[in-house]
This record gives sequence, structure tokens and C-alpha cells, in this order.
Amino acid sequence: MLVNPAHLHLLLNHVPTVGSVVALGLLLLALVRRDEALKHAGLEVLFAIAVLTLPVYTSGVAAFMEIRNRPDISDQAMRIHQDAALAGFIATELAGFIAWVALWQTRRRGDAAPGVVPATIVMLALALAITGRAANVGGDIRHPEIRPDLQASETAASADQYVAGSISHVMVNSTWVWPLSETIHFLGLSLSFGVLLAVNLRILGVMKQFAFSDVHRLLPWGMLGFGVNLITGMLFFVGQPGQYAASSPFFWKVVFLMIAGANFLYLTVARHLWVDSGLESSPGDKAMAASSIAAWLAVLYAGRMLPFIGNAF
Amino acid sequence: MGVLDWIESTRLAIWMQESPSLLAFPTILTLHTTGMALLVGASWILDMRLLGINRNVPLSYYRWVFPVVGFGLIVNVTTGVMLFFKNAATWGTSIPFFIKMCLVVASAATIVPMRSYVVHGDRDQTVAVGKIRLLAIASILTWSGAVTAGRLLAYIM
Repeated sequence: MLVNPAHLHLLLNHVPTVGSVVALGLLLLALVRRDEALKHAGLEVLFAIAVLTLPVYTSGVAAFMEIRNRPDISDQAMRIHQDAALAGFIATELAGFIAWVALWQTRRRGDAAPGVVPATIVMLALALAITGRAANVGGDIRHPEIRPDLQASETAASADQYVAGSISHVMVNSTWVWPLSETIHFLGLSLSFGVLLAVNLRILGVMKQFAFSDVHRLLPWGMLGFGVNLITGMLFFVGQPGQYAASSPFFWKVVFLMIAGANFLYLTVARHLWVDSGLESSPGDKAMAASSIAAWLAVLYAGRMLPFIGNAF
Repeated sequence: MGVLDWIESTRLAIWMQESPSLLAFPTILTLHTTGMALLVGASWILDMRLLGINRNVPLSYYRWVFPVVGFGLIVNVTTGVMLFFKNAATWGTSIPFFIKMCLVVASAATIVPMRSYVVHGDRDQTVAVGKIRLLAIASILTWSGAVTAGRLLAYIM
């Protein structure tokens, strides 16, 4: 592990709240001023926040694993924070997903379908409220003096009383939920990989007969595969956090997911990628496409090597 | 029985079973997953076109799919044989493994008529008809079945 997960969490944990305030501000200002560029910026910031919220959550769980046995830290406070953070994570991802739909539609037709941007704003406001609560109860972990009602760690509460603990209970004790989720994870992987391959190979100059707009049409299918894998992947992570929290391949998997997320945003919105059939993309775009394929291969490699590198499993 | 036991005692099988190197079993397994992503992902892109997604794009533009699928197949047959060597005696007599092999063969078999339809067909065709749509549905289902069977083998064996 390159960095201490608790420090990483403290470094990253303001991203969802502060970032969401910025995105919400941009979107509301865009609404008032009727400014398309501001709206676009707000949606892009929101997508980036949604991508960055993944390591905020996973580093938080890693920090929990690391400090849970310290007598001065309340197990209960951490579990309350974890449940609030899980709810905040889900709400932020949903807001980021709707923002992505708006960006994809805007790139294709010049504007998002009616209702998509308002839905983004409502979901983002909700996500901000939930994440704000998570941040608030997270503060209780290091400031027990303001919450004397929280139990100390010697009287640790039963994990099953909490949402994350209940999910973990099902994932670990059911004979078929884990294998079924793994199967869906592999099907989602194939779908998103196929789409990313088609889009990036076009940029690299294979099948130049395609207009870029026709491979761009496939992106929602890639997003579907990714969404399915985010859900099943989180089920694994919440189910057996001890396997992943301190695992170096998992750390790298998340790092490469961030790179892949940035690539995905670029593929969705970049204007000069839209070359007509028969035309070449620019060298810079080709480098981006190659890095996108490499990032997805690295995500796959790190994921498949999870049981073999490090001793977490 | 004799043949399967002999396979499990070959140097390749022993290397797969015993080598502590990350380049042995872990990397072969990861290559098998990568091959799957290429093979299944590219096949599904073509299947989606045959079912009407991007119907304005001429089918012949989808020729790129076949080299990708072919490459994925070569990787996965090679790594698949190596993975089989590791556990030949158990897998060679197992019904779930046999089911997976049938699904893989069925999936790969759908590629052949699709290829001749795309490569040798009328270049300006934009609408896929009856039989080829059924074939696309069969391809999606058999590949999903093969992936499912492959993934579940790790749990039921």
C-alpha cells in the first residue's frame, strides 16, 4: 500500500460535499442565467465528483479497518458514519449517472431531453443532503466529546444492526448471492469492454468507415455494463471489506478506474472526436484512446489478480 | 481415466499446479478473462447491430469484429487448455465442465454464419432479417451461458 488509508480518507473526504456544492452552484447559476456553457461545466464537475466518490468510500472503509481496534475510537460512531456514507455514495452515483445521460444527449442533439437536467439537480441536492449528514456523523468519530451518548469500542455494537453489516451478512452467508454477483460482474465486464473497444478502436483508426457519431451511440451500453459492475463490485466490497481494504491490487484497480472514468467523460463530450466516416482522429486523441484501452485492461488485470497479489484473501 | 491422469502429470500441468510464480496460474487465468472480454464483448457489439442498434450503419463496417473475436478465441483456447491440464482428472469427468464446453462450441459456431453474412453479403445491406436476428439472439444467450457456466465452475468444483 502506497499511502495510509486513514490519511487518504481525510484527504479525499471533502470532495463529495465541497464538490457537490460547486456542481449544484454551477447548475443553479446556469438555470438563472440560461447559460449552456455553465450547465455543461456543472454536469462535468458532477460526473467527476461521482467518479472520485468511489475512493472516498473505499478509503473510508480501509481507515475503519485500520483504526477499529483503538480503544479511544467508538465502533458505533464509525458504523453510523459508514451507513450514512453508503447512502451518500449511492445518491452521488445516481446524480452522476443522470448527469452523464444529460452530457451524452447534449453531445448528440445539442440539448438534454426535457426533465433530465432538472432531475440531475434534484438528485444532486438530495445527494448533498445525505452526504452532508455522512460528513457530520463522520466528524463524531474523532470528536467523541460532542457525542457522549456514543458507546466506546469495548461495547461494540453488533454489525448486523447496520445496513453495511446486513449486506455483508447476506453476501457472506448466502451460498448463491456471491457466485451470482460474480457471474453478473463478468457479463457486465464483457459488455462494457466490448463497447469501449469499439469506440477506442475507431479513434485509433480501425474501421474508419464508421462516423464517430455511430460508435458514440453505443456508449450507453458501455455505461449499462459499468453500472451493473459498480453495483455488483460494491456488493463484494461491502460484503467482505477486509478482503479489499488493505489489498494493493484493489488500490490500483480504483486508481485505474479513475483514469478510465476521465477517459469515459472525454469520449462522451469531446467535440473534435466527432470525425466523419473515412477521416483520421488527431494524434492526441489516438493517445487518449490507447490509454483508455490500457486503463480498462489494467482494471481487469488488477481485479482478476485480487486473490493472488498481497495476502488479503 | 488413464489419459486424464497422464495429462495431470505432464510438466505443463505440474507447473500450473505448483509454480508459485504470478506468471503461472494467476496470469493464465487473467489472460483467460481478458480473452473472454475481447471475444464476448466484440461478439455482442455485432449481435446488437444485427438486432437493430446502429441499423443505419452498413453491416460490412462491422468486419473488424471478426479478427478481434478470432484473437480472443486463440487466447482462450490456449489458456483454457492450460487451465484444463491443471485439473484434468476432475474436470474431464465433470458434467458442469462438459456443459460449459458445449456452450462455448455453440457460441463459437454462431460466428461462422454471421461472418459469411457480414463479409460476403450485399455491401449496402442495412436491414438484418429473420434468421440472422435469431442467430444474434442465440449468440447473446450462448455466450452469456458460457460465461455463467465458466464463472460458476469455480464455485461448484
